[in-house]
Amino acid sequence: MTADALPTLAPGSWLKAAGRPHRRLLGLSAALVVGDVAPAIGFAAGLGLAIGALEHSVAEAAPWLVLAAASLMLRGWMGQAATFVSATAAAAVKGEVRQGIVADLFAGRRPAAAALTAVVEAVETLDGHVARFAPVRLAATVSPLIVIAVCALASPVVAGILLLTLIPFVVGMALAGGAAAAESRRQFQALERLSGTFLDRVRALPTLLSFQAETRTTREIAGAADELERRTGRVLKVAFVSSAVLEFFSALSVALVAVYCGFNLLRILPFPVPETLDLGRAFFVLALAPEVYAPMRRLAAAYHEKQAAEAAAPSMAGPEPGRPVIAPPSRRWSSAPELDFRSVTIRYGDGAPAITDFDLHVPAGAIVALVGPSGSGKTSLLHLLLGLAPLSSGEVRVGGHGLSHAGAFAGAVGWASQNPVVAPGDLFGNIALARPGASAEEIRDAAARAGLQDDLGRILDERGGGLSGGERRRLGLARALLSPSCLLLLDEPTANLDPESEAAVVEVIRAAAEGRTTLIATHSQAVMALADRVVRL
Amino acid sequence: MKPTTAHTGDPTLEALLAEQRRAQGGRLRLAALSAALVSGASVALLGLSGWFITGAAIAGAGGFAVVQAFNYLLPAAVIRMLAIVRTGSRYVERVSGHAAALKALARLRPLLFARLAAAPPRRAFSLSSGEASARMIQDVDAIQTVFVRLSGPWGAGAGALAAIGLALLAGALPALVLAGGIAIAIFGGLLIGRRVADPAGRRVQVAMGLFKDRLSALQAAAPELRAYGLESWAADQVGQAARTLDRRRVADAVAGGWIPVFQAAVLAVTVIGVIATSAPASLPLVALAALASVTGLEAAAALTGGLRQNGAAQEALARLAEVLDDPARPVIRQLAPAMAGDAIVIRSAALEIAPPFRLGVIGPSGSGKTRLIETLMGLRPSVADQLRLGGLPLEDAALDDVRARFAYASQDVRLLAGSIADNLRLADPGASNDDLWAALSDACLADRVAALPAGLDTVLSENGDRLSGGERRRLGLARAYLRDAPWLVLDEPTEGLDAATETRVLDGLTHHLSTRRQGLILVSHRSAPTALCDRVVDVSVTLSPGGIPLGGRDVRAAA
Repeated sequence: MTADALPTLAPGSWLKAAGRPHRRLLGLSAALVVGDVAPAIGFAAGLGLAIGALEHSVAEAAPWLVLAAASLMLRGWMGQAATFVSATAAAAVKGEVRQGIVADLFAGRRPAAAALTAVVEAVETLDGHVARFAPVRLAATVSPLIVIAVCALASPVVAGILLLTLIPFVVGMALAGGAAAAESRRQFQALERLSGTFLDRVRALPTLLSFQAETRTTREIAGAADELERRTGRVLKVAFVSSAVLEFFSALSVALVAVYCGFNLLRILPFPVPETLDLGRAFFVLALAPEVYAPMRRLAAAYHEKQAAEAAAPSMAGPEPGRPVIAPPSRRWSSAPELDFRSVTIRYGDGAPAITDFDLHVPAGAIVALVGPSGSGKTSLLHLLLGLAPLSSGEVRVGGHGLSHAGAFAGAVGWASQNPVVAPGDLFGNIALARPGASAEEIRDAAARAGLQDDLGRILDERGGGLSGGERRRLGLARALLSPSCLLLLDEPTANLDPESEAAVVEVIRAAAEGRTTLIATHSQAVMALADRVVRL
Repeated sequence: MKPTTAHTGDPTLEALLAEQRRAQGGRLRLAALSAALVSGASVALLGLSGWFITGAAIAGAGGFAVVQAFNYLLPAAVIRMLAIVRTGSRYVERVSGHAAALKALARLRPLLFARLAAAPPRRAFSLSSGEASARMIQDVDAIQTVFVRLSGPWGAGAGALAAIGLALLAGALPALVLAGGIAIAIFGGLLIGRRVADPAGRRVQVAMGLFKDRLSALQAAAPELRAYGLESWAADQVGQAARTLDRRRVADAVAGGWIPVFQAAVLAVTVIGVIATSAPASLPLVALAALASVTGLEAAAALTGGLRQNGAAQEALARLAEVLDDPARPVIRQLAPAMAGDAIVIRSAALEIAPPFRLGVIGPSGSGKTRLIETLMGLRPSVADQLRLGGLPLEDAALDDVRARFAYASQDVRLLAGSIADNLRLADPGASNDDLWAALSDACLADRVAALPAGLDTVLSENGDRLSGGERRRLGLARAYLRDAPWLVLDEPTEGLDAATETRVLDGLTHHLSTRRQGLILVSHRSAPTALCDRVVDVSVTLSPGGIPLGGRDVRAAA
């Protein structure tokens, strides 16, 4: 089951599909940005007519001045409304994409590390795409035409000039966009390299320190940081050149309009035109001319947001976009099941197998300890039963049900590790997570058997604040005790405990294992002593 | 908020930023100068255009003679020149400002790593790798704005001066109105920025941290969630944190949006005021003043617009200061006394040993074997008065001197992303290929590496996925063999190996020790490796309170 084998959408289409459920919000935000031309026209008209009227008297100009001022204020408020709607639309799209990836993550459908960066960094790129790029995309094509049409009312010749100047603009933008895309992919790679190198070296910090390789590693990171700086500099240069070109053309076009208006007003045009301008109309078209190019300049400024989102789209798209979550059929056993591993091989991706040809028979109700150095595949065997590790070949039968058929025995297993999940809330509620329908009596009983008598009402924060190391293990075991499942999986349940706490936790494990088939991955002598059988990997 | 000043010999974050500002001074000054040119040219361009059109209209209405007298060539040429100056200097401002910022950030990132590595062990390992990389990547990115916006005041100042100067042509009163408007726009914008936008930006960064925390905590518990069928509950928990983040982002966008709303209102009132007060002047001058005040205020707005990311930048600075400025760091690290020799004293075991002594360390799981050797090597904080190295109490020795005395192969071998040769040369950058093969041969891995198509240049993915657990361990062993240090420290070197391989690995170890005459400290719970040792101590007994020495065997004569 590899991601590459599945048909994938082009980044652009994927982004479009991601936005589809929120069409209305997206449409509204685009409409608000396009609507920005209304107050822009109002301001130009107010200013032009006011200057025209000032020839006669200040009083005549007053209403037009008020129109210009009111348009400016309206423009501010419309901008704010567009900001709010666009940000809300971005939040909606992000929320939906993120929930899909998170569901995949917890169902084991995506590799964890990739899903984590997809959920945070990749999803954040949607913010710029939806909130800043998408709304101006429509405005960049529609607004210039609206503004030119309005200009035509005052001066058809100016409208004609503006229409002609649009052609080099569009060509220039297409060229700049194409050049920037390639640079921006290389920049993204440089960022990934820096971030990967840093993560790898921080993880290996104890090793680096013991070999006194700090200075060399710092140089290496400096190299990656410089590379990113160069790449980013290049991307920005392309973006700045293209916006400088746009700005220059826009200034030239405006100057052309100004010269035409000036010569028309002076009546010294060297060619005949079907119109004679007055000061008000000339001022109006002159104030409006920059508004023809403003939306396209905004689009150019937001273009890198689009490229960032497109670079991130493949990692968000994941294995099968939009596939509904299929809950594996839940299997429960009324009594402790028998476990049978038959020539099981576990291989993640194309690396070396974590487990090869593993055979093990566990009689119903037995306790088996799996021991071996880190990396020997103990935890992979436990994850296999939960569907978090792939069954590459062989078969596991639990109480007669084959794993290759069931997919996983998730939802039907008791589990405890050295780090049980802690939900914000009280200890009581945290134990209850293992069996939603349990009565208060049953929960208190499980807590007592796990040795958690005092104050089940105390509030825990999500980092497990308020619990000692030993109490955290007891919380995990209390859940296992409460769970109705007859199959118990324990992953390093006593790691990092002092000998006394370990002895106490071992007693709880003994109680929890009663009437259940139990598989324990461990390094601990005390836990091995408890097992009916110790299997070395 | 300024990062707190730390009492250390190393410069604080504040000082580092100041140093980068100095280092990038040339580019930053160029950016500031260009920003001033951009604003000045913009104001003059629009003002002059207004004046030109209006003047042309009046001249045109005045008849042929007036038109002939109206000089339209000069203003038209000046307008074109101003357009070119504005475009060119905007490009220079952006390129040099961003180049300065990017270069400064590129210097800060490795510094951050160097600081992390040089910190005392308790701090160096306290940040999770995800947290550390978030600081180096996202937080450093967030402070880019601190450099880029340095040119803002120059642009705003030049724009304001040019606009007020042009307004003066229409009269003192319009100039005064414009100056007032610009001041209100700037200070109001700053106030909204500080009171509304900054806190909103900080709240986003905080929510981002909480969301990442929640996500990684629940992700780490994935098996438990699967076991109890809690996947959708967990997705919902993450969803709640994410929704908080999304809500705060919307709030942040809106909070920053109030600055332009306010400034648009100020602009509207100011333009009316300027036109009304300049009415006595000639019409072309009124047009000039009106258009100059529009662009002058826009230049001022660009200054406060740069403050939108300030909240995030300030929060990022505070987080970076946490890594860089450690108030607990001892000031006199460099003054540590020099060591004499390589002898190790373990008080609780009444042990004093020097190379080529071979010490075995045994004890049940969790009894502190690894803790003992890592403390000895300066990878964990040391307890006062327990260990001595080279004649010094360990806690007084310089970390560099301590670490220089050991070559270590840990139990969980950490491999770097890179080739096999890269990983081996970590121990000795100058090692030749022959040296690498010799070390691999002593670690019984030479045949396996030789069989790989790319040999020494085989690239290992993250933590060496292509090698089995036992092969990773032996690669770690070969790496330790390459390091020229008085003591070789091995933690469970043969764990997970079959008896035959174990014998070959131990033969290789014996060969290595006899050629190098290194001392050996070996942690193992297996009997074959400890049989190589001159003496074996049981840490569960010797390190207990009271520290009774108990050797598994008596000291045999050191070779």
